This record gives sequence, structure tokens and C-alpha cells, in this order.
Amino acid sequence: MIPFQTHRMTWRSSWGKTLLSVAFVVSLIGATCAAQSHRSQTPSAERVVTLYQGATDSAVALGITPIGVVDSWLEKPMYRYLRDELNDVPHVGLETQPNLEKIAWLNPDVIVATDFRHQRIQPLLTAIAPTATADNVFDFKETLTLVANATGREEVANALLRNWATRVDDFHRQIADTLGDAWPQKVAVIRFKSDHLRIYSGGFAGYILDELGFEQPDTLNTHGWGMKLSSTENIPILDADVIFVLLEPDPAILDNYQHWSSHPLWQQLEAVEHQRVFEVDPINWMMGGGILAANAMLDDLYRHYGLEGLEQRDAPASSQETQDAR
Amino acid sequence: MTPNTSRSFIYAEQRHDYRSLLTVVGLAILLLTSAGLSLSLGSFPTSFVDVLKALTAPQSSDIVFIVWELRLPRIVLAILVGGALAMAGAILQGIVRNPLASPDVIGITSGAALAAVLFLALFSSTIGIHWLPLFAMLGALVSALLVFALAWKSGLHPSRMVLVGIGLAAAMGAGTTLLIVISSDAAAMSAYVWLTGSLYAAQWRDVNGLLPWLVVTTPVCLAFARHADAMALGDQVAEGLGVAVMRSRVILLACAVVLAGAAVAYAGAISFVGLMAPHIAAKCVGRHMARLIPASALVGALIVLYADLLGRVAFLPKDLPAGIFVAGIGAPFFVYLLHRTRYQRA
Repeated sequence: MIPFQTHRMTWRSSWGKTLLSVAFVVSLIGATCAAQSHRSQTPSAERVVTLYQGATDSAVALGITPIGVVDSWLEKPMYRYLRDELNDVPHVGLETQPNLEKIAWLNPDVIVATDFRHQRIQPLLTAIAPTATADNVFDFKETLTLVANATGREEVANALLRNWATRVDDFHRQIADTLGDAWPQKVAVIRFKSDHLRIYSGGFAGYILDELGFEQPDTLNTHGWGMKLSSTENIPILDADVIFVLLEPDPAILDNYQHWSSHPLWQQLEAVEHQRVFEVDPINWMMGGGILAANAMLDDLYRHYGLEGLEQRDAPASSQETQDAR
Repeated sequence: MTPNTSRSFIYAEQRHDYRSLLTVVGLAILLLTSAGLSLSLGSFPTSFVDVLKALTAPQSSDIVFIVWELRLPRIVLAILVGGALAMAGAILQGIVRNPLASPDVIGITSGAALAAVLFLALFSSTIGIHWLPLFAMLGALVSALLVFALAWKSGLHPSRMVLVGIGLAAAMGAGTTLLIVISSDAAAMSAYVWLTGSLYAAQWRDVNGLLPWLVVTTPVCLAFARHADAMALGDQVAEGLGVAVMRSRVILLACAVVLAGAAVAYAGAISFVGLMAPHIAAKCVGRHMARLIPASALVGALIVLYADLLGRVAFLPKDLPAGIFVAGIGAPFFVYLLHRTRYQRA
């Protein structure tokens, strides 16, 4: 072995030897495992890997089972409303850092990604398979069209979008009739974290509420994506006709919610006085990011405003998500 | 000193040189083996033979893409980044004459971090993420210049520089935190990954971007290594030995800034390598710069290579930032070395 010896200390030759032999043994193990090289071989015309939540939701809505998906943000590893369809689907890591090698091994026909997260790995993704890229993660219509175009299911997508448009029109009509002068409403979408709260102006919920005709609180108009509020002094910023609280079942977060909502300033909020504070599922309202989540969010709105929910037209896989919505 | 003892001293020195050389060669061999190991491991292990085939005869292999485009650039970048940070650390520790000096401490990394987070918060969506390395590097340079300018008092004096550097690093750390707090969730998430340091999705263009800086600075560092040794004895002794202290110091510092700045530009703020690798290397080859710089580079490269290997394969299918594991690998190793030295002296 190499004599690793110095004036200060003796690098025992056994030491280097151990390191080298460990390296050697590990490569041997590698070699053995490679003998049963499992390159996934499920025969399918549409081998799709979806790299963000909205794309996974959209694929399921279109009746496609992806061959690879990324971990969900909550209810890990996969949102419950998608679990039945995605039971045995391999995961390729996190939406923010999907495992490129695993994607390559899956040998997909098409990858659905988003510039918002995957701009840096775009060249590598394209080298693995043709990659359809959405600009952002919240425009669920763009995502649906993107996945549909990539897999030749434009008609299913169009049916889903028509169904959505009908529901939006119906909601519009009903809420205007019910609320009269109180419509349009200003809406605050907030989410509690363990040590602060965030108020969102854009994103998935904002995009849909906008389409439904809701308005934003005046305080939010100039603040980009929204704001982080860490002091209860800022509660007046939340002033709106209705507040939707995206609540995760986490003790620390629920504690913080308790802390804020017991504050005197909170009690003075208009939405609180009129009992228009609704706790909603952050998966439907934010993280799902696809048409299934959008429909579930719309169901929530129907329910909270006491409107007659419009039955969703028969579209693949969209029937049972209504029950799973909560 | 009698002729006899002085002769045996010379022999001892020569033997020491010879052993250090062997140590460096041994480290290089270890690095190559490790690179080979890392190249064979991934989401699905591939045998080393298959990997060699993919490297030598790409046309007849079905894992070419995985080996050539996914694993190899990442491994090469890990080696370059680790080497650059460790060399920067070795130079800084030598010049500043402080064992705690490192690119993280004197504001190079924090300057790069502030610039990178600024970029992620404000520009990444408008002008494209591939400008990030340039931004981070400018941040490192500006912050280093600022440290030099503020510390300059008829010359550059090590202790003043460390104090100014620590102060500036703290101020820029505050700026970075502020930016993360006010930026959107997505930008904050990218910022955190950058601050941890990651070699995820390294591509050949990253290697091509980093390599020239190393090629330019490494020979300069080695050429001035002797001056650094003299300076380690104190400015007056060094001047007595004929070293233009200020000039050599500025040149070596500039090299350290460029090395560390370029490394963090491509891999994010991987910390601790610049501090730890030179110490580990010094335990193996001693404090002479001409030996310490190459040995540090090899040790740094090994640390980052193994950190990234762990990040890649230990938590599959997740691909985790190498920065998480750098301290995890290095710190126990470092403590072990310190412990051993103490034990031997006793």
C-alpha cells in the first residue's frame, strides 16, 4: 500500500486500504445489482412523466396514468384524491429537484414540466424525452391543454374545459342572484404557517377566484404574489367580505391559527363579524393545481355560499373527486 | 548546529518531501477510484464495466446519456468545486495566519449568496436562470473588493481583514434573510437550495464555465506558494527574505477570491469545505504551501464528491443538495484527525 506517513502523524496504511476496499466492494455490489437491471418496460402508448402537481392532476383527469410522478407537497407521498389512480406509479423525487436519472430510466415518451420550476434542467429533460413546458404552475387550463396535446387527448380536455365553463357561468348567475348588492365580494385567501400567515393575491386560488368574479382586498393590489404577515398588528390587512383559510392539519399551525383568531383585531374583521370565514383544504385550493382540484375548490365555494351545486357532466375521473374533496 | 545534525535534518526534509508526494499521489488515486465508484452508482446501479463501456464506446451502450450527461458532469463539477474551495481556504488560512479563515468567513461566500438570492427573487423569471452564476460571481468579487477597500490601511493587514470580512458577512447575511422573507414561496425555496449548495443537474456548460477560472488561478497560486510560506513567518521576516509582501498577498488573495467565487457561483454556497479541507490536508502533508495546496484541493474534491454521492443515492428517489452532507462527512473526519494527533503527542 502507499505509505501515508508524515512528520505529525502516521496515516496507517491499513486506513487507506480500508477505504479502497470499501470502494471496491461497493462497486462489486453495484455490478451484481446491475445484472438484474430493471429498466421499466411497461408497454404503453403514452409513457408520461409529470413533474409538477398540476400536471399529475391533469393527467389523471384525462384518464392517463403517468409512469412517473413527483412527491406531493402534503399528504405525502401523494394527495389522497389521486391515490387510487396512482397507487403503483413510481415517484421521481421532489417537484423542485426531480431525480433526472430515474426519469431517464423510466424511458418516457413525453415529460410534462414547468418553466417556473424546471428552467434550469430543461436541456437535460429535453435530452431524455420531448418535454412539454408550462409557464407557471397555477394556470390549470394551460396545464390541462398541455398534457392533452402531448398525449393526443384534446377532445377529453375540451369536454372538461366546457364542463368547467358551464359550472363557472352557473356559479356566477347563482351567486349574483343570491347576494344581490353584496356581489362582487372582496375575498382574502390566507394560509397559516407555524409562525406567520400568508395572504395570497395570485396563484391557483387567485386565478380561479378572479375567473369567478371575486375581487381582491384593496390592501393587496400592489403586492405581487402576496405578503407574509408575522405580527397580529397587521390583521386589518385581511379586511375583506369573505376570508378563506387554507388550513393544514398540523398542531403548530392550528395553534398559530388559534392565536391569531382569538385576537381582538381579528374579531373586528368584517368577514368575522358576518361569519364569512371558511376553513378550506389547501390541496384543493392551492397545491393540487389541476382541473380536478379546481372543481373541488368550486364545490367548496358552492357549499360555503349555500348554492345548488351543479352536477358535473360526465367526464373521465371527475365524478369521484367530488366525494373525495374534503 | 553541528554539520552532522544539519545533514540529518536535510535528509529528514527530503524524506518528508518524498512522503508528501506519495500522499498526494495516494489521494489522487483515491479520488479517481471514488469518481469511478460514483460514476457506477445512481438511481439504478450500473456495473463499472458497463460504465467504462459507455465512456469508451458510447455508440454501443444504452446508458450513454446517464453516464455522460447526468453523472459525469456532476462528478467533474463536484471535484472542481471542492478543489477550488479547498485551495481558496488553504490560501486564506496561510495569508491571514488564522486557522479559522475560510471563504465563508471573510465575506466571499456571503457576497455571492446575497447576489444569488437577489437574482432569484427579482430577475430569474424575467432574464433566465442561466445568468445566476455570473451574478453570484459578481457578488463575490464586489464583496471581496469591499472587504479589501475597507480593510486597507497603508497595506492589507490580516487581522483587520478578518474583522472587516466577518462584519460585512454578517451584514450581507442579514440582507439575504430579508430578501428570502419578502420573496415568494418558490423563489425562497430556490434560494434555500442555493444557500445549501447543490450540484443537482450539473451540466457540461457548468463545467466549461468553471474550469477556465481554475486553469488560470491554480498555476499562479502554486507559483506564489513559496511567498505564502515566507509570509506565514510574519511580514517582517518575509520582507527580510526578499518577498514583496503586499504584492504577493494581494495576488494570492485575488486568486482565492476568484476560486471561491467561481465555485460557489456554480454550486451554491457549499460551506465548510474551505475551512476543513486545508486542515485535513495539513495533517497529511504539513503546512508547506507547495504541498498543502494540491493536497487540500484533492481532499476538498473528495469531500464534495462523496457529499454529492450521498445526496444522489442515499435517499432515493429524492435527490438532495450536497451541501447538507459536506459537514456531515467532513466534521467527524476532522474531529477524528484532531483526536489522533493529540493522542500521538501524548
